[in-house]
Amino acid sequence: MTLRQAAVLGTAAVVLVIAALASISLGSTTIPLRDVFDALPVVGGGGVDRATDQIINGLRIPRTVTAILVGAALGIAGALLQGALANPLASPDVVGVTAGAGFGAMLLLLAAPGAIALVPLSALFFGLVATALVFTVAWAGRGGGSIARLILAGIAVSAVFTAGTTALMTAYPDRVSSAIFFVAGYLSYDGWRVLQDVWPYLAVGFVAAAFLIRPLDRLALGDDVAQSLGVRPRLVRLVAAGVAALLAAAAAALAGLLGFLGLVVPHAVRLAGGTASHRFVVPTSAVAGAALLLVADTTARRVAAPLDLPVGPFMVVLGVPLFLWLLRKAV
Amino acid sequence: MARDHDAARTGSSVDGAPLLRVRNLAVRLGGTEIVRHADLDLHRGQLVAVVGPNGAGKSTIVRAASGLLRPAAGTAEWDGTDVRRVGARRLARIRAFVPQRPQVPAGITAHEAVTIGRSAHVGALRRPGAADRAAVDRALERAAAGDLAERQLVTLSGGELQRVQLAVGLAQGAPALIADEPTSALDLGATATMARLLRSLADDGLGILLVVHDLALACAIADTVVVVEDGRTVAAGPPVEVLSTERLATTWRVDAALRTDDAGRTALHVGWLGALDDAPGRPLG
Repeated sequence: MTLRQAAVLGTAAVVLVIAALASISLGSTTIPLRDVFDALPVVGGGGVDRATDQIINGLRIPRTVTAILVGAALGIAGALLQGALANPLASPDVVGVTAGAGFGAMLLLLAAPGAIALVPLSALFFGLVATALVFTVAWAGRGGGSIARLILAGIAVSAVFTAGTTALMTAYPDRVSSAIFFVAGYLSYDGWRVLQDVWPYLAVGFVAAAFLIRPLDRLALGDDVAQSLGVRPRLVRLVAAGVAALLAAAAAALAGLLGFLGLVVPHAVRLAGGTASHRFVVPTSAVAGAALLLVADTTARRVAAPLDLPVGPFMVVLGVPLFLWLLRKAV
Repeated sequence: MARDHDAARTGSSVDGAPLLRVRNLAVRLGGTEIVRHADLDLHRGQLVAVVGPNGAGKSTIVRAASGLLRPAAGTAEWDGTDVRRVGARRLARIRAFVPQRPQVPAGITAHEAVTIGRSAHVGALRRPGAADRAAVDRALERAAAGDLAERQLVTLSGGELQRVQLAVGLAQGAPALIADEPTSALDLGATATMARLLRSLADDGLGILLVVHDLALACAIADTVVVVEDGRTVAAGPPVEVLSTERLATTWRVDAALRTDDAGRTALHVGWLGALDDAPGRPLG
C-alpha cells in the first residue's frame, strides 16, 4: 500500500470514528462525550442515569452500528460488482436486488400495513428472489455468464419488479406516503430488532468479500490471464455478484434503498487512492461507505431536529460534491 | 545469433520427457469442430512456434493445451498428467498463458499487475512475502520492463504493454510460457525486442510455446515449428525443413520462399502479385 492509499484509508477511518462519536452524542438531545464514554458497555456502563443510558445504548448505538454496517455493506457490494462486471456503472441495481427489495418492502407497507414489522425480511427475501431470477436467466444455457447477458437480465427483471411496485402504488394510493422513507433510504431507532435477523447475511457477505479480493484482481487483467492464474472467470463473477446482492439486500432490509452509495463510494475510493487494486478498493470502500452514511445520518437528524429526516437525500447532498470534485481532479 | 543456440536446442533436455505432450486433440466451440487432430510436444529449453493460416485453429490448440478450453477428445498432458486433472493452482505454477489481446484496466500499475501474476504462490488472504516481491522484481527485469514498474498500464505503448504482459506470465514462476501472437500488434523494433526476449527465455530453460503469424520471425527464433491447417497439425520440425516452398504453396496458397543467411537473418520472399519467378525486378537470392 502506498503512502497515498494509506492516507486515504486513514482519513476515511478517522472520519468514521469522529462521525460515530458524533452520531451517538448528537440527536434531538445532545449528550456530552464524557457521558457517552461513561455509558459505553465496554467500560462497564452504568456511569450515567437511566434515561441517558437508554438513549445511548438502546437507541443511538444500535442506529450507529446499523449505519456503519449498511454503509460498509453497500460500499463493498458496489466494489465487488464493479470489479466482477468490469463496468464502472455497475451497482446493486444491475443485478435486480434494488428493484426486488423495493417491491418486497412496498408489498407489506402498502398491501399489508399490519405486518410492518416484517418489512425488512420481505425486502431481503424479494431482493434475493430478484437476484436469483437474474442469475438463472444470465447463466442458463450455452454462452451463459457473459457480462452483457447478466446486465440485460438485470434490467429486464428489475423492470418486472418495478412494474409490480408501481401496480401496488396505483392500487393503494392513500398509503404511498408511508413508503417514502423506505424508498428514500432511512435509519431509525429500532434498536437491535432488525439487525438480529439480518446480521448472519451481512457476516457471510463480509467474509466472502475478503476471499473475493484476489480473484477479482486477477479478473481485472482479463479472463485469459485470470484463467492462466487458475481462476474460473465466470464462477468468480457469479459468486461476486451473488455476494454483492446478499449484502445489498441485507442493507435494504436495514435502511431502505440507498443504491447511490454502492455506485459512488468505490469510484471515489479509486480516484482518491489512485489505484483500482481490490486489495485497496474493497476494504477502503467499506470504511468510506460507513463514514459517508454516518455523517449523512447525523446531519439528517440535526438539520430539522427534532424531525428525523431520511438519510438518503443527505447522503447524496454530501457525497455528490465530494465525488464531482474527485472526478475533476482525476482527469 | 540464433544459430549459436543450435547445440542447446538439440541437447539432452529435448531428449527427455516433454513438459507438454498433446496427442490427438480435438476441440469443439459452439458446436463446430475447430480442432480435429493436433499433436505437439514442448520440452524445457525449447521454443515451439505454432504457425498456419488464419482460422486454422492455432490459438484454439494452445488454449486447450493450456487448460483455457475443454478438449472434446484427445489429451494434453503436463508432466504426464492430463490438463483436466491438474488442479487450478498447480496448473498456474506449471504454465503461464500470455493472451493475444490483453485487457488494460485503469488504475493498475505494471508492478501491481505483475504482483497479481505472482498470486498463485501466495496463500489466500495472505500478503505477498519477501520472496514473492523479489520474484515480481525479477520478472519485471527479465521482461525488460523494470523501468515501467510504476507506470499505469493505460499509459503504456503496445510494445511496453506486451513486455509487462510477459512479466505477468514470468511472475507465475512456471517452467512453460505460452503466448498467443505476442508480436502481432507490435512494430518492427518492438517485435525484435520481444523475439530476443522469448529466445533468451528458452535458452534459460523455459519451454516456450508461441502462436506466430510471421513466418520469417518463427524461422529465426523457433527450434520447432508446428504447421496447423484446417484444424490439424500437418507438419512439425526444424523451421527451414518444414517451411519449404511446397509447404507454403499448399498451406498458405502463396508462391513464397524462406531464406536464411549465414548470420541467421531470415526473410520471407513472397510473390505478392503472382509467381516468384515471373515477378518483375531484379532476381531474389
